[in-house]
Amino acid sequence: MFIALVPAFNEEQKIGSVVQSLFEHVDKVVVIDDASKDNTSKIAKEAGATVLRHKINRGQGASLQTGHEYCLKNKADYVLHFDGDGQFCVEDILPALEIVKKENVDILFGSRFLDDRTKVPFLKKYILFPIARIFNKMSGVYLTDIHNGFRILNRKALENIVIEQDRMAHATEIPAKAKKFGLNYIEFPVKVVYHQYGGGLIHGVGVLRDLFFGKFLK
Amino acid sequence: MLILFQILFSLFVLFAIVSVIKRKKEGLLGPKGTIFWIVFWLAALVAVLWPNALQVLAEYVGIGRGVDLVIYVALVIVFYVLFKLNIKIEGLDRQLTKVVRKDSLDKNSK
Repeated sequence: MFIALVPAFNEEQKIGSVVQSLFEHVDKVVVIDDASKDNTSKIAKEAGATVLRHKINRGQGASLQTGHEYCLKNKADYVLHFDGDGQFCVEDILPALEIVKKENVDILFGSRFLDDRTKVPFLKKYILFPIARIFNKMSGVYLTDIHNGFRILNRKALENIVIEQDRMAHATEIPAKAKKFGLNYIEFPVKVVYHQYGGGLIHGVGVLRDLFFGKFLK
Repeated sequence: MLILFQILFSLFVLFAIVSVIKRKKEGLLGPKGTIFWIVFWLAALVAVLWPNALQVLAEYVGIGRGVDLVIYVALVIVFYVLFKLNIKIEGLDRQLTKVVRKDSLDKNSK
């Protein structure tokens, strides 16, 4: 079974269409509503998704791990991470899954930089990403695109990777754990459409803070 | 002759030590914590009653004034405590996440 995990927080505008479009490409859509204040859960359910609702906002990493635990229980063979704000294109899903199967890799990471379909905002491209890449290199993983929410994990990756970074630092944690557990990974070109400028410098500082303090926890 | 500040501070230390012992009896403080706080307050009392003692210590570690030594040590302690608190909060955060996650998965399986 191929399950799409869609973490969502206040996405009532987009979530319905995202869920519907996903159904053409996956067997099941699971929306993790991270304590949205709007009708995200209701609209996702109406669109046919299974909804897991966090009572308290815990962040995107926490939402994905909730989805992972659901997928482990429900015997998923492959899991897709897909953002709830409609920034990814569903047309990328099947070619990506084919590559995962053909190349027999455990994780596929989407990348905006492997083709020229994505227009990346200046600050992200030339300032934030180079800094984040340094951190990725420190963990021993080289990816052209970090913090891209499009991923496909097979069962083995799902069983090995437990996301402990609740907020955005999970995007650094996942490749690091892939390396730690000896999982094979590949990058695949995906298109990202920017609806609004998210992230920014404060977001980047938050990620660094989480990674730092996370090092001292166990 | 004791100056007013020294008298007031001594009374405060007495009060602080009594409340530390009370906390210990209530079970809110462990043996390590109790000893740490009692020693801490007694050391503060020594520093206030005999400022020269602090001066000697400061000179020994290469700092000019006793007061500077207190400030430096206090800053180090404050930063250390902040760091520990941050980690503690992060740990609590993760535990909270587990509870929220379990709740969402349980609700779904009903």
